[in-house]
Amino acid sequence: MTIRFAHVNKSYGQVDALRDLDLEVDGGELLALVGPSGCGKSTALRVLAGLERPTSGRVLVDDRDVTDMPPHRRDVAMVFQDLALYPHMTVRDNVAFGPRIRREPTDTVRDRIDKVVHQLGIEGVIERYPDQLSGGQRQRVALARAMVRAPQAYLMDEPLSDLDAQLRMRARTEIVELHRAIGATTIYVTHDQAEAMTMGDRIAVLVEGRLQQVGTPAQVYDEPVNVSVAGFLGSPPMNLVPGGGVLGGEPDTIIGVRPEDLLVDAEPSGADFTAHVSVVESLGSETVLLLVCQDGTRLALRTPPRSPFRPGRELRLVVADGRRHIFGAADGRRRLTGR
Amino acid sequence: MKAQASRSAWVFLTPYLLATLALVVVPALLTFRYAFTDFTGLGPARFTGLDNLRRMVDDPFFAASLRASAVHVAIAVPLRLLTAVGLALLLAAPRRGGRWYRVAVYLPTVVPDIALALLFLWVLNPIYGPLNQVLGAFGLPQPTWLATVWGARFGVILMLLFPIGEAFLVVLASRRALNPRLYEAAALEGCRPWQQMRHITLPLLAPILVLLAVRDTVVLLQVSFVPAYLLTDGGPSNATLYLPIYIYDQAFEFLGFGYSAMLTLVLLAITLVLVVLQILLVRRWRVLR
Repeated sequence: MTIRFAHVNKSYGQVDALRDLDLEVDGGELLALVGPSGCGKSTALRVLAGLERPTSGRVLVDDRDVTDMPPHRRDVAMVFQDLALYPHMTVRDNVAFGPRIRREPTDTVRDRIDKVVHQLGIEGVIERYPDQLSGGQRQRVALARAMVRAPQAYLMDEPLSDLDAQLRMRARTEIVELHRAIGATTIYVTHDQAEAMTMGDRIAVLVEGRLQQVGTPAQVYDEPVNVSVAGFLGSPPMNLVPGGGVLGGEPDTIIGVRPEDLLVDAEPSGADFTAHVSVVESLGSETVLLLVCQDGTRLALRTPPRSPFRPGRELRLVVADGRRHIFGAADGRRRLTGR
Repeated sequence: MKAQASRSAWVFLTPYLLATLALVVVPALLTFRYAFTDFTGLGPARFTGLDNLRRMVDDPFFAASLRASAVHVAIAVPLRLLTAVGLALLLAAPRRGGRWYRVAVYLPTVVPDIALALLFLWVLNPIYGPLNQVLGAFGLPQPTWLATVWGARFGVILMLLFPIGEAFLVVLASRRALNPRLYEAAALEGCRPWQQMRHITLPLLAPILVLLAVRDTVVLLQVSFVPAYLLTDGGPSNATLYLPIYIYDQAFEFLGFGYSAMLTLVLLAITLVLVVLQILLVRRWRVLR
């Protein structure tokens, strides 16, 4: 099922949640819709599901206009951020609720429930109530409820945000694997750029209701179209310094360099500059150094783990070849990647 | 420090404790004592054992009173609850002007019992009361209300359908506390409004509804006798001689304090049995987990 937002606007009173959203999702792909909180990504999902009406613009599913269609006729299943499990129903009743409401024949429904429940490994808790489940189990029940419908598309609104970090990592891969197995179009909304990068076939970055960029994770990471995208993706995000500063460049530009593209230079090379280490953040698999330059500019630098550098140490730095991003100072748009 | 805090807590509690002691605990204990005497309110009380209970068994007025209370509670509790829940669910969703409707529903609850009763004496007047005038305008029968057995019973219940503000507020607040995502999830599955009501709203409100039913049973059995007393004074032919009214009559009209104390104990027992029954019933429905 292909999905298309055609120039969709959505305002709540004075607030514009979506501004001219024009986005196409290919059949069978997993699109990660990512952006800071309040950027309109959940609104986009709700408009697609039919829970909200766009102020203007159309929503097309398989080239059919569904803008005025009630939610249940759009054949999409949604997994909500708070999961929205019915607290007074057992896991089985939660999963069976939709088919029961639609009066689907019970024998085929039972088989489908058994299959989905098995697939997600929650057979053991099927007679329990949601408040008797762990966070991970609840999350699976929410998925099971969506899957039992075998919908044309899955809409997921930050379904992992209530899980602890370790569980979340595992659930990520599981969702991607399920997606591969099922092959249904999936839109996955998240504010977590790591989640978006690892899960999405493509990423769509939304900032302040406006679609900034759509592309593969590598494209969006390596060639951000503007400073918003550059500053949002990556942890720590890209260093952005006004042109003419420590990172060079023309005065009317902003120069961006990813923390991993800043290199510590042993020998003076002419293109280098110096900075003092102010904070050392050891993350285990890597170390992030927060640096302060002579002119007060703050930079982040990613180094291998067990960095020998301590706060106060002066470092000589260069930018890796071809890893300098140049943005216009006025519009924030990308100009080119250069030395 | 801790001892001081607990001492000041006791100091603050003292006025309430004293009043509870003087107005609730002591009279309750006295009631237990008088129930087994021939106390008339004047002179000394003589211990008579279970005489009051024996008298009760043969008392036709007690039988009539029991019937009146049973009919009253059996009809009024469900109707009052239905009205409160219906209005609350209808008015829970935010809509233009909604707050004025909500205020209008709550308003009769702040009307004093006595004023409400006087108002209904007028409303239910068979000749110039507005109720019969409206019924007449539609060509419907115009009952003589308080003059007939069932007219009086329903007249009182009709009056009691208005002061339902507390239950209304509780249901309103509970409904608004339910997660709106549940309804969105249901809408995505194609759940229609009445199915949402049946499968989501009512089951989730069930514990609250049970609580309200229990509470309303207690209230209607014991407390709400002032307006009924003013409206019908137990009549006609004892159709509205609710237990509290009969107890009041026995104590203060006939100076039978001993007998009325025993009636009070019986009312207490009936109330307890009903409440326990309701709770047991609900346990079986697995509403309270």
